[in-house]
Amino acid sequence: MAYSDKVVDHFNNPRNMGSFKKDEEGVGTGMVGAPECGDVMKLQIKVQNDTIVDAKFKTFGCGSAIASSSLATEWLKGKTIDEAQKIKNTDIVQELNLPPVKIHCSVLAEDAIKAALADYQKKADGALIDAK
Amino acid sequence: MNHQHIHSSNPRDLQMARSMCWHCQSEMSGEYFCDRCVKVQPVSKELDYFTCLGIPRRLTIDQHQLETKFYELSRAFHPDFYQNKSAAEQTISLGNSAMLNTAYRTLRDPIERAEYLLDLEAGSVKQIRNSPPADLFEEILELQDTLNEYRAAGRTSVTESTLRTKLQSERNMLEQRQRDMEAALQQLFVQWDALQDRGEATSQARAERDRILKEMREHLSNRTYVKNIVSDLVSTIG
Repeated sequence: MAYSDKVVDHFNNPRNMGSFKKDEEGVGTGMVGAPECGDVMKLQIKVQNDTIVDAKFKTFGCGSAIASSSLATEWLKGKTIDEAQKIKNTDIVQELNLPPVKIHCSVLAEDAIKAALADYQKKADGALIDAK
Repeated sequence: MNHQHIHSSNPRDLQMARSMCWHCQSEMSGEYFCDRCVKVQPVSKELDYFTCLGIPRRLTIDQHQLETKFYELSRAFHPDFYQNKSAAEQTISLGNSAMLNTAYRTLRDPIERAEYLLDLEAGSVKQIRNSPPADLFEEILELQDTLNEYRAAGRTSVTESTLRTKLQSERNMLEQRQRDMEAALQQLFVQWDALQDRGEATSQARAERDRILKEMREHLSNRTYVKNIVSDLVSTIG
């Protein structure tokens, strides 16, 4: 089975690979894994004034998992928290033309986005309570 | 959990429900062949692999018994023996052989057997949600970075040999961890079988059942993560 050109492109030139310090202000970290295939994905967002100003990822897994998370970080940049919540795995499937056996990679990316947003929210709420 | 429901969807019952021979329409009493017209019968897709291969639904199994039954059925279903038979029988022979091979491959391997049992018992793997092991993930991703560094380092450079030593010791540690997880799984398998053998329906037994399934899910997942990074290490540093 061949990968689509877009997957190959993201795989060869992954965007936004790397990481932020977890405890940095405004950073949300999502760490997810797929027990079925053993893929591991870390996706981080940096938020200022409710907008995602930067995003980074690290993925250990197949080409589709790397491409899905790479694309996710690209899409996240510039989005507000609310807009980011609306990213669906099906959008990733469509954009990357993922075959049925690789759909779980896009699910993993969506889970990672949700986890990062939740982590950011949790930290932000905590900071609010501290401030009071 | 609703016990009645589990009972009615028991694959055994479903198989029994299909009680007529597709060919002579007589009451079926044989396992895979009609007693009256001797025609091969299709293995129901609903049939679980344990029942298909005639072994109890346990995590510790008699390998010899499994193999014997597999060979017996392989011969009985083999497409070569159906070349002169009707198209319907040829189709059944193919389908049964495919199902049998999958069933055998799954049950033969203790890990795949456990994964399969989890699917049967918990509906789908995803129904047992466990929190991802963040520490393990961090470790894997960090190791991945070191691996990339190693791959980028020039051959026979100082960096390469330093990294190689580091990766080698990581590999030993992870392999040990994988063995530990497999030992823990083995323990859970024994506990699971003992629980099944007791066959109690108390709330205590149900709690025990859920605990074992959850722990099994956790160990199986973590083992997959560790196994993946180990095989990456092995293929990189040799």
